[in-house]
Amino acid sequence: MLEVENLWAGYDGMAVVRGVSLRVDAGEAVAVLGPNGAGKTTLFRALARLLQPLRGSVRFEGRSLDGVPPHQVVRCGMAYVAAERELFPQLTVLENLELGAYVRPDGVRRRLEAVFDLFPRLAERRAQRAGTLSGGEQQMLAIARALMSEPRLLLLDEPSTGLAPRLVAELYRRLDLLRRRGVTILLAEQQVGAALSLCLRVYVLKNGGVAFEGPSSELRGSAQLRSAYLGGA
Amino acid sequence: MRAPLRAVPLVAAAVVLAALPLWLGHSPYQMRIASLMLVLASYAVAFNLLFGHTNQLFLCVGALASLGGYMSVLLVRDAKLAPGLAVVLSTAAAAAVGGFLSYVSVRRGFGVLFVGIVTLTVSLILHNLLLGLRELTNGETGIVTRGLGLGLGDEPHRAYYAVFAVLLVALLGYRWLFSSPHGAALRALSEDEVSAELSGIDVTRYKVACATGASALVGLVGALYADLNGFISPSVYAVGHVDIPVLIALLLGGMRTLLGPVVGAALFSVVDELVRPFGQLTVLAYGVLLVALFLVFRQGVVPLVERMARRAWTALRPARAKVARTEGEVAGGTEAGG
Amino acid sequence: MGVALDGLVLGLQLALLSVGIVFVYGLGGVLNLAHGQVAVAGGLVTALLLQAGQPPLVGGLGGVLAAGLLALALDRTLLQPAYRRKGEERLLLALILTLGTSFALDGLFTFRFPNLALSLRLDPPSVELGGIRVRTASLAVGGLSLGTFGVLLLFLKGTRFGKAIRCIIQNEAGAWLCGVDVARARSATLFLSGALAGVAAVGQGFFSYLGPDMGPEFTILSLIVAVVGGVRSLVGTFLASLLLGMVNALLSYWVGTYLTWIALLAVAVATLLVRPEGLLAYWP
Repeated sequence: MLEVENLWAGYDGMAVVRGVSLRVDAGEAVAVLGPNGAGKTTLFRALARLLQPLRGSVRFEGRSLDGVPPHQVVRCGMAYVAAERELFPQLTVLENLELGAYVRPDGVRRRLEAVFDLFPRLAERRAQRAGTLSGGEQQMLAIARALMSEPRLLLLDEPSTGLAPRLVAELYRRLDLLRRRGVTILLAEQQVGAALSLCLRVYVLKNGGVAFEGPSSELRGSAQLRSAYLGGA
Repeated sequence: MRAPLRAVPLVAAAVVLAALPLWLGHSPYQMRIASLMLVLASYAVAFNLLFGHTNQLFLCVGALASLGGYMSVLLVRDAKLAPGLAVVLSTAAAAAVGGFLSYVSVRRGFGVLFVGIVTLTVSLILHNLLLGLRELTNGETGIVTRGLGLGLGDEPHRAYYAVFAVLLVALLGYRWLFSSPHGAALRALSEDEVSAELSGIDVTRYKVACATGASALVGLVGALYADLNGFISPSVYAVGHVDIPVLIALLLGGMRTLLGPVVGAALFSVVDELVRPFGQLTVLAYGVLLVALFLVFRQGVVPLVERMARRAWTALRPARAKVARTEGEVAGGTEAGG
Repeated sequence: MGVALDGLVLGLQLALLSVGIVFVYGLGGVLNLAHGQVAVAGGLVTALLLQAGQPPLVGGLGGVLAAGLLALALDRTLLQPAYRRKGEERLLLALILTLGTSFALDGLFTFRFPNLALSLRLDPPSVELGGIRVRTASLAVGGLSLGTFGVLLLFLKGTRFGKAIRCIIQNEAGAWLCGVDVARARSATLFLSGALAGVAAVGQGFFSYLGPDMGPEFTILSLIVAVVGGVRSLVGTFLASLLLGMVNALLSYWVGTYLTWIALLAVAVATLLVRPEGLLAYWP
């Protein structure tokens, strides 16, 4: 579904992502791991077209994303949940969700119900301003908002940031549910444990390049491998 | 080898400027243009220190100059003070105002843009004050300053060399400042104020000191201008007449350089003269120039010339450079070669 | 009294100018210092059309359209380098670019049309309303401004595009992620701000007179209002416009032009020093 080939991306002419190639097939859940500064966020921003890549190609469902402006990415069926969440703080939960459906205005009611079903806590707080929600609730809202556009691929950048372990487990349970419902997931994480439980394949980024790619079982199984690549997470 | 070489541009510029009247001296009009160019250059040196080196976007150069000009004229006319004393007092006043604005801004942690907006508003207030206090300033009609100053307006050479002296002192002061330990501190300050503060540099003191010095320069030149121009009115010190040309001149010449203000002022004066016969189009030219400079040529002439000169120097002495480099390598790279 | 009503109407016109500038700041992150000249352009086009014998309605609409298109042109050309940057860098670059443009336009207008002015006379010049003598012009301009605001409000609250604009102001990145074409919204906002400025200029023509050199005055006034009302608050800006419009009219009547300017500027400085987010700022 998603094919990234030799992608180079960075800021002010300095490349942070150097020649990354990866592949995500439909129905998969794939994780991109790596320490801070490895280039995970830069990679995702390049995929979501918030950043123009310096070199390389990105293909989504066979179509090249070259020259596609950022607001079209959602239309293509790929939704990105940034690490900063990027919510609209003065708008209510409901209004944020409705804006998530901006590109697909019909069937909003139905999708709202599905999303509230998945995140009942959001349903309780639907009239509350997004800026006043707790960290965990904001994270859920960010994901829910992305789901409102009925994406086929969901990009999540460090979804477990600032969440208590119990909430992280809850979040990943829901992500698994989504995957089983047919949403392909590509996520970046610093917290390895939860990511490995959900994703069958991982890529490990180090200094802007892919240091390891393979089944998560391989990474999980070998403590040495883990400490070498992830610094013993 | 480097230090004496470095003095060459300043000496050359000083010689050229000192000799200029020999070439233009026959035409009072051209001498006047030259004097005005030196005035602009002086303002630009001050603004260079303010905005180029300490990030203080003081859009009140014209206002400070008007303070210097009007105060010195009024002190002579109404308080019957000696012209020399009047000039000194107005320079001090301008320095005080500039220093005060700087102090408040630094203390309150105002950002660059904010300082720009506040100083611009202050400029406009002063402008309207000058226009409104009719009995004192004659409003838009202005005041004739003949006989109210040091007599600079009586003789074009006197005017020129008076401003030239001030400009030269300013440039020497700038040069001294940046070759002293203060220079390193200022460079660090302009890059990153927070880091500079953390490294023990008293950012407040430097910024306020620079602002005070720069404002004194502006006030002094503003007073001299009032004298040599023979006439002052609020509009000769207006933002469009002073601050904008200063900005253009500094962009043209090159910010944060020694001779940038001078070169920029010279180029600007030439352009200004070329466009003068077209009346209102001068304003159009200013606008187009500002946009073009900022988009395409923000560095300025002096850095460009410096770069070309450096390239020419290394091209002309390749053997020497190579020898110096290998020597440097042998010596373990402890000495900068060449 | 009549002066107070004039002040209110002046406030409404000021609102047309200021809301435009604040809008552009909220959406595009840039402060358009050529705003006043955009307004003047609209007025001049109206004057030219009227001179060419066109009926007032065509002239007015033409002027408004011209102003909007000029602002749009600025967005598509000059401001693009600014949009490529973010935050303070974008603002600073846009400030200088629009400043230069304002000078260029000013010079162009005063050079090419030194004697052109927009001045419209209504018949009858004044009417009696509840015992007070009111200028017909005041009523006309007041009505025009209110009508324009009504349309604007409807547009913002009612349409999908209006909703998109409101969310961009709160979070530009978030808007991109929801599929909103931020660049197109920015251009539309600039066009809108220009059109509003055009309406203000035409109104000024009814009210007294609009000349080719009034650009800087308009820009400075709208900036003062934006500062006092809060650059991030449309409601605050609207309220500040009315307040300062009244202050302007009353002071001008009692103490004259220069002192009025000083007072308004002093209010701006005081706001900047005491409550920089804006005295009347309010985020709905």
